[in-house]
Order: sequence, then structure tokens, then C-alpha cells
Amino acid sequence: MTVMSKIEPPVLAVRDLSISYGPLQAVRGVSFSIAPGEAMGLIGESGSGKSSVAYAVMRYIKGQASGEVHVAGQDVMALSEQALGKLRGRTAAMVYQDPMSALNPAIKVGEQIAEAIRLHGRIGKALAWKRGVALLERVHLPRPAEIAHRYPHQLSGGQQQRVVIAMALACDPQLLIMDEPTTGLDVTTEAVILDLVNELRRETGVAVLFISHNMGVVAQVCDRVGVLYAGQLIEEGTTEQVLRQPRHPYTVALMRAMPAIDGPRRRLAAIPGRLPDLRSPPPGCIFTPRCAMATAECESRMPDLANSSGGGHRSRCHYRDEVALRLPPEPLVAEVQLVEARQERPRLQIIAVSKQFRARPALPFMRGPAPVRAVDDVTLDIPPGRTLAVVGESGSGKSTLARCVAGLIVPEDGAIRLENEVLDPLVQKRGRAAQQAVQFVFQNPDAALNPHWTVAEIVGRPMRLYGGQGEGKALRHRIIEQLEAVKLGERYLDLYPREMSGGEKQRVSIARAFAGRPRLVICDEPTSALDISVQAAILNELLALQRENGTSYLFISHDLGVVRHVAHEVAIMRHGRIVESGPPAAVFGDPREEYTRNLIAAIPTLERREAAPALLTA
Amino acid sequence: MSGVALPAHRRIVLPRLGVADLAGAAIVLGMVMLILAGASLSPYSATAFNPMHSLEAPSLAFPFGTDEFGRDVFSRVLAGARPTLLLAVGAAALGVALGTVTGLTAGYRQGPVDETIMRFMDALMSFPGLILAMLVVVMLGPAPINVVAAIALVFWPRSARLVRSIVVDLAHREFIEAARSRGERASFILFRELLPNVLPIIVVDFSLRVTSGVLLAASLAYLGIGVTPPTPAWGLMVRDGQQFIEIAPWLVVFPCLAIALASIGTVLLGERLRHRLALPGGGRAQ
Amino acid sequence: MQALGFILRRVLLLVVVLFAVSVLTFAIVNVLPGDVATAVLGDMATPDQVLAVRKTLGLDQPLAERYLRWLLGVLQGDFGRSLQHGQPIGPILMGRLGNSAILGLITLAIAAPLAVALGVMAALKPGGVLDRVIGGIAVGAYALPEYVIGLFGILAFSIWWPVLPGSSLMDPNENPLARPEALILPIGVLITGMLAFISQVTRASMIQVMGSAYIRTAVLKGVPRWRVVMKHAMPNLLPPTIAEIGMYFGYVIGGLVVVETLFSYAGLGQLVTNAVSYRDVPVIQAVVLIVAAAYGIGNLLADVAALLMNPRLRS
Repeated sequence: MTVMSKIEPPVLAVRDLSISYGPLQAVRGVSFSIAPGEAMGLIGESGSGKSSVAYAVMRYIKGQASGEVHVAGQDVMALSEQALGKLRGRTAAMVYQDPMSALNPAIKVGEQIAEAIRLHGRIGKALAWKRGVALLERVHLPRPAEIAHRYPHQLSGGQQQRVVIAMALACDPQLLIMDEPTTGLDVTTEAVILDLVNELRRETGVAVLFISHNMGVVAQVCDRVGVLYAGQLIEEGTTEQVLRQPRHPYTVALMRAMPAIDGPRRRLAAIPGRLPDLRSPPPGCIFTPRCAMATAECESRMPDLANSSGGGHRSRCHYRDEVALRLPPEPLVAEVQLVEARQERPRLQIIAVSKQFRARPALPFMRGPAPVRAVDDVTLDIPPGRTLAVVGESGSGKSTLARCVAGLIVPEDGAIRLENEVLDPLVQKRGRAAQQAVQFVFQNPDAALNPHWTVAEIVGRPMRLYGGQGEGKALRHRIIEQLEAVKLGERYLDLYPREMSGGEKQRVSIARAFAGRPRLVICDEPTSALDISVQAAILNELLALQRENGTSYLFISHDLGVVRHVAHEVAIMRHGRIVESGPPAAVFGDPREEYTRNLIAAIPTLERREAAPALLTA
Repeated sequence: MSGVALPAHRRIVLPRLGVADLAGAAIVLGMVMLILAGASLSPYSATAFNPMHSLEAPSLAFPFGTDEFGRDVFSRVLAGARPTLLLAVGAAALGVALGTVTGLTAGYRQGPVDETIMRFMDALMSFPGLILAMLVVVMLGPAPINVVAAIALVFWPRSARLVRSIVVDLAHREFIEAARSRGERASFILFRELLPNVLPIIVVDFSLRVTSGVLLAASLAYLGIGVTPPTPAWGLMVRDGQQFIEIAPWLVVFPCLAIALASIGTVLLGERLRHRLALPGGGRAQ
Repeated sequence: MQALGFILRRVLLLVVVLFAVSVLTFAIVNVLPGDVATAVLGDMATPDQVLAVRKTLGLDQPLAERYLRWLLGVLQGDFGRSLQHGQPIGPILMGRLGNSAILGLITLAIAAPLAVALGVMAALKPGGVLDRVIGGIAVGAYALPEYVIGLFGILAFSIWWPVLPGSSLMDPNENPLARPEALILPIGVLITGMLAFISQVTRASMIQVMGSAYIRTAVLKGVPRWRVVMKHAMPNLLPPTIAEIGMYFGYVIGGLVVVETLFSYAGLGQLVTNAVSYRDVPVIQAVVLIVAAAYGIGNLLADVAALLMNPRLRS
């Protein structure tokens, strides 16, 4: 035996990886490596190229890739198709964002796992099935032998993701690539999945490449973190280093945009501007146009990804050691006091509202399954100019409640009262004044705007419909005014939704809601489809509009961090009922109900949690 | 990314044919010119008998030959273009218009209105197209307008189903919820919010229907339904020429080629239209 | 349970639709502006003749009563009498139905699997040579009426190079399978038409399936390509495709009418075109009803087959 270096070779080594899709340079010169047993997180917003990097490791991309990718010593770019087939699933395995669509709907989950086992090891069908069941047990699925016989659609989202993880573990891979594995899952489910990942890491020593947009999630799992922006790795170091003492202004900006559930309440800081055009990236630092501390040098010369003084902490910024000094300090805001507001008559009252959904029976003339109580005897009120946030996990009935208030869904029981008037349950039957008074901002900016209307038509429509805001030139002036109120200008008038970014579309949505000068705006998860930096801007916009117009908000959200930043009052909803309500400081600081405590405990913060709350089963 | 993608099934997807697209446009353009120019292009009368030249093979004088009555097949084929295409376009326009209104209403209203309309459409669709058209024309009598009505009746439920399937999907989109919560009237939502989103599909559907209209009209004529003998309809010419197929194949071949050219032309043009309309704005990678 | 419910609902729906079909058929024949007696006799008929025919057809009785009598008769297999032959329609219909079924079923049995295979092959490399060739043939086959394809077939294979009979002329009671060579051209024509539709529909679905996330999962699990197609894509492709093929039964039936007329094949299609030229309204009405029912049942069977293959609905 020859003497060999004691340093173990990395499981994954990426050197100078670049990926382009036609003229679009999605990834440029990314290098990093992952040691055996290590977990590395890649953080980035949409368009950062993080998923492209993940799939390039498996050599599964449509674009052009250059550079080197070594997995367990094998040069992935040079492998034959056959060797690639052996690498995939055996040496490196993947876990995907949306487990429902990642699993084959027509094959039993046990068979999908057994197939992975049989592909890479010559063993019999029965034995492979048995091992598959053992893997399902390993990921803590209850009654694994029974679950193996089910099809994906018969499992919950959390269960599906465990199946995907079990399938990835089928051949004891050395590297696990997880692409946003908890995005789209409820927080409590997310917490359990993250615990599972940590447990499997401890027990199997598998290395992990973890892709996420959520810094809290990454902090729960990863030893090291890389931050991607516009296709470049701009910062890299241990989780502690990057998330506690960021050395790149983009990372700092991201942290400041993130609404946190703990610590002092801050004003969220949006990142100005938008992603540079990746068809012709600027020659200097790519973050320059949006950077608060950029200089002439930043514009002309691209900084290297170099070590800062901290040791092993790399940053692609000329001023990597002075970031904390050069950036302006973060403003704090005082907790809102709701004492005086309590005296006023509520603007909106939701009185004992209930709504059931009935499924169709399996056979005609047969009794159907028991109806689902989507909203169950909910009573809430909102004072003028204040925000009531209704928080809950998926299926809690919060969106149904919002649609009952809007008159889109007719509840079986209860009443909606707007100041002095009891509203008709169906919006079409409400008077013009009542229709005008209640407006809606939707979750998905892509679906909320008619793709065949221009911005001027979209924002102008409520003004025309409700009248009283002039015609022709005057109306046009009002539309521009309204657009300026959401920080869009005249040049947006003739754009179609497809020509705008998600954040811009959501601003148009908000402008439309405010165009009718409403007294109440229902915001149904208005930022959950947006990047963190854009979310911060939208939330600030909503707060400013409320201050100016004295509008009341019914704010629906699943994100306690967001709620903490916008709400004067919070109601926690579960299974159609209000579990607990009160001012955010009280609900978050000293929750009375166990469910609320668990919900808060499940939120991934920058602090690594020891284990998920015991009660949670997903 | 935005706009409405065509539903992936329910349609014939043909690969891009490049040059063939242009050929389609050229053929249809040629046909339109034939319709406009009409009989003035024909060297002979399409209907007058000329016993001296019965069943002559194609020659310089009679490029497509003559039939048993000595009529010039070339002139008859030219004269047949106008009725065939006008029938097809008329029937497609009527059928698609009916289908659009029905589909919009059924898809947006849903519930019992939708059920009733769609069960009626199902019943109409249970008749194979050609059979239904046959029955209607036989009962109404042979006249071009009746053929248009019959073919439109065949298209109606098919277009309605297509439009409805898209509207049902759109009706759950948030921009429709936004319109409802604003207090818009149903007619505004149908025609101002929904219709523009359905329009590209309607246009493509219309182009497909023109092709099937050509085929249905030609098949009806071949079966001897809807047109009476001296009329120079392509299908009827094939039917009459079939008995001479062994001695005078040109009687069959040229009208057949005309039908083929017309329908292939409309198919290719429709495909081109689909490619243009199905990709609004251009999607970006990733 | 869920599957059983679905099938039951589907059968109920078929009954409703068939009832509507009978009403529509009756309505088209009896309520449309055209008068049955005039349709039967032609425009030259004298008023006396019209009156006589109206009487033999029972047209002088109230509409609802006539409909009910007709429907009850049909339910008992009595379709009335043919004006042309003076015989009861039922027995004529049955023999013809069998002959048409032979033609249609052989066509389906060959065309459906072949078209699906072609569609899948085209979809594996969209824009490739194979895809273009299959697509080009599909355009042609789609754009040509059956009789045009059939006549070119006759010219090619029974006149210029006479290897096949150009006509399937036979006695209606003869078994068509006794002369299989006479079936080749008609079936060939029908298959060509079917191929165009089904192969392109299959292609579109297959491209969609191959682009889905679970196929990506399979590929990244290291599953070899042929196995991805056969084991992972096919089970998801087939159910909707089979249901789709059911929708094209009507097209096959329309094709049958033309092809049977072209080749003088004694099936329902030829019966109905003959009836049309003799204005034999009771026969037309009966054939239309039978054909619509066959179409409905075929559709139902396709839906049930698709259902049984789809684990989502089955369990």
C-alpha cells in the first residue's frame, strides 16, 4: 500500500461550473465542494441558478454546461450514458420540491422504491419489496407494510416526501441532493421532514447538497452555506459565519428582508431594483446596481470569491471585511399599541360564520362522505385602519373564510357586517357601495390579472365600474396616481401582465384593489408566491397604503413571520375554528394554546432546533 | 407562461413542416383567388354538354380530360372550388359561433345550467358527424344553405365542449374571482374577461373546422346528398366518374386531387396559425 | 367502490343520452321544416300522394303519441317497415350491423395499437426524422376523405396492379370473412384514417407525460430509457389515450358509411346511403339510432377500460 493523503477526497467537487440556456447565462463560474458526511446549503432567490446547479450535478439539464463536476471521484461530464445511469440513484440521489408530482401516480410507492433497489443491486423482487418496506419504516412512516401498497395520491404531502426520501436512500448513496424539499409543505410537516434529514445524516453519514430559498430551513440542516445571486456564488462559509456575520451586501440585504419570528421587531428592508439581464451580465460586480455600498470600482472590476479575514469564509465583494461598517444600520420599529383603537366601532364584523363542503357520493342515491367543516362558527372583528391576520396551515379554512367575507362563497350560517350594514352573502347581490368597500388581493399574481388586459385597463376598471373618478384624461391621471402609489409609474400603463415580474404584477393587483377606494382589503397570502426581497417591498407598500388611507386589512397567511410584521391582531385558525387570538406580541410571546406553541416552535429560525415538537406527526 | 395554452390532448399536433406551412398559405390563397375569379378562368362551361368530346383523355385542349357528356373536367373542377369552400367556411363560422356562446355560458355558469346544456351537447355528439349531417340534409332537402346548417350542427357540440373545457379552467382563476368580487355582471365576465382568453383557441378551432367542413361537404356530395347532378361539386364528380374508373380514371383523379389540395391547404394553414397563437410572448428557459 | 360508482354513473348517463338521442332523431325527422312525406316522394308529388303516404306512415296522429309508439316499438326490436322493401326493418338491420361490426372491429384492433406505437415513437424524439415522417403521413391521411384514399387504392391495387378486388360486393347474408381478400382494401382505408388521429393525439399526450416530474424522477433514479418508457410513461399514457380512442368511434362509423358505399360492402353504411337515395325514412331513422347507440356503448366501454387501468380511480 502506498502512502496516501489523510484528507478524504470530497464527495462532490464542482469547479468553475457555467450553464447557459441559449443566450441566457444562468450560472457562471460556480465552484464548491462537499466533504463526506457534510451538508452544504445553496441559498438563492428565483433566477439565482440554484436548481440548475443541483441538476447539473446529475447531468440533467437542457442547457449548455461547462466546467467540472466530480461525484465521488467520477467526472460526471465525461461519463458514458451507461455509467451515468449507474451514478444516478446509486452514488447520488435526489429529493424533489413537489413530491406529489415527483412520484409516479400509476405505480405503488413500494414498487417505486423496490425498483430503485433492484436497479442497482441484483436481488429478487420479494427481497427488494421487503427492503423497501424497511426503508419506509426507516423514514418513520406508520404501518409501512400497508403504505407500500398505496398509490401516491393516497398519501399526504409529508408522507409523499418521506417516500421520496426513502427512494433516494434505497442504494445507500454517498450524496443526497435535495431541491427545496420542504417548500409547499406546512411548517409543522416541514419541521418533521427536516428532523428526519438530520437523523438520516447522523446515522448514514450521507453528504447533502441542500437547495433552498429559506435561510431558516438551511440553518436547520446545513454545516456550510453558499449564497447564489444571478448565477454566481457570492458568499460561502460555515452556516454560523454566513448567517451570523454575512460578508456580502446581498446576503445582508436578504437577512434584512426576512421577516423573523424572534428577536426585536425590525422594519423590513426591500432590495431595490431587479435581477440584471443575464443575457449580457455587467462586467463588474453583478450586485452593483442594487448595492447600498457600491463604488466606482465595483462597477468596473468583478471581485473574486476570496477568503475574508475570518478564515474559510469566502465573499465576492471588494469590501468583504468592511460590510458591517459600510452598510447603514437597520431601523427598528416599536410594537404597535392597539389600546386606543379598541374603543372604536369595528369596521368589519364576522359573526358566527360557518361553511361546510359536501363531497359527491360515490354512488348516485347513496349517502356521501361526511361534509367537511371548512369554517366552523367563526366570529372576528376588525377596527378601522387596522389589520387582522388569520393564520393557519393548509386546510385550516382561512381562504374559505376570506372568500365568505368577499361574498364569493356563501356560508350556511352567520353574517358579515360592514360598519352599519349587514352584507348580502353573495357579492353580486350587494349594493355598489358595499362592492366598492370590500376589495381583494390574491395570492398568485400570475393568475390574478387577466392576461389579455393592459395595466391601464386593469387598474382603471374599478374606477369606471364604481364611477366618480372622472373620465378620459382625468381618469388616466387617476390611474397613474394609483400606480405611483404602489411605486409603479406611467410607463407601466400599456404593459400586459406577461411583460412584468411577479412583484410588479402584485403591485398592479394592489393598485387595482385600492382603485375603488375600499374600506376593507382582503389580502389572501399576498406575498407567498414572491421572493423574500420582493415580499419585503410589497409588505411595506401595504403598510404605507394603510397608513395613508385608513384601510382595514383582513390578512390571510401561513407565515407567522410575515404576520408579525403587518398585523395588529392575530387569529390562529385550525380545522375551521379560531384557536386563539390577540395582539401578535401576546400570541407569539406567550401563546396560551398548545397548537399555537407547536406552530411557533416549528418555524425554522436561524437557531438550530434540537428536535421537532413531539406532538407533530406528518 | 401567460395566456392560455391549448389543451394538449383533444387536438392533432403535427410537427413543424417549415416549407409546408408556406405551401398551405399558397394553396389557400390560390383557392381564394379561384373563388373571386370564378367562372371567368374556366375555358369552357362547367355544365353545358358537348357530345363530340365525350370521355376524352387529358390533352392540351382539355387539360383534365372530359366526362361522358363531353364536359371539360378542368372547368368543372374550377367551378367546384367556390361551393366547397364557401360551404366549409360558412358551416365552420356558424358552428364555432354557436359553440363559443354555448361553451362560455356552460363553463362559466356551471351547476344545473351547465349539466343541461352539456347533456344536450352529448346527445348531439352521439351522432357520428357524417350520419347527423346526412339525416339533417335529407330531411331539409338538397340546398347549399341546408348543408351549411347540417355541418354547423355537427360542429356545434364539439366547439362547445372545447370552449367549455377551457372556460371551466379559467373560471377558477383568480382574475375571474377578482371580477366577481368587484361586482361585475355575468355578461361582462363572459365577453370581456373570458372571451379574449378563449379567442386564440377559437381561431385555431375555426381553422380545423374549415378543414373538416371541406371533408364533410365532399363526403356528403360523394354520397349524393345535398347536391343535385348538374352542379359541379367535387364529391359528386367523383361519385359519377367512379363507374368509368377503368376507362377514364381522370374523371376521378382530378376532383380527388382538388379535394386533397383544398383540405391539405387548410390543414397546413391551420397548423401555422396554431404555432403562431399557441406561443404568446415566448417562454424563457428555466 | 369508487370505480363501481363511476361506472354506474356513466351507465346512467348513457341511458339519459340515448333517450335524448331518440328524441333528437325523432325531432329531426318529424319537426324540422321538411315534411317526411315530401322527403319520401320528392318535390313532384301530388297532394293526393302526399296524403296517402302521410297516412301509411301514421303522420296524421299527434306527435307525442307517434314518438311514444315508435320508442316502445324500438325497445321491443320493432323499427317499423322499410318503404323500399316493405319488410320489417329489424332483421335487415341485424345482419348489416354484424357486417359493419366486423369491418369496424378489425380496423380498431389493428389501427389502435399501431397508432399508439407510432405516436409514442414520434414523441420520443419530437422534431426528429421519424416524427416528421409520421406527422407528414398523418396530415395527408387526415386531410383526405376516405373515398379519395379508397379510389387511389382501387386504382393502384385492382386496376394498375390488379392484386386485390376493387369491390366487396356480396349478398347481405353472406359471411364477409369468407372472402378476406375483399376486406383488405376497405380495412386499409379505414386504418389510414384512424392512424392519423390517434397517432397524433398519442404523440401529444406522450410528450406531456415525458415532460412530467415523475419521469425526471425515474431518469435520475438511474432507470434505463426503454424501461422509463414502458414502465413509467405507458401506465400514465394509456388510460387517457384509450378514452380518447373511444371518442373516435364516431369517426370510424362515419368512415364506414363512405367505405361501404365505395366498395359496395353490405353493412349499415351502405344500407343507409341506399335508404337515402330511396328516401326510405324509417330505415334512415333506425340506422341513425342504432349507430348512435353503438357509438355511446363503445365510448362507455373505452371509458371503463381507461378507468380500470387508472389506479387513481380504481382503488
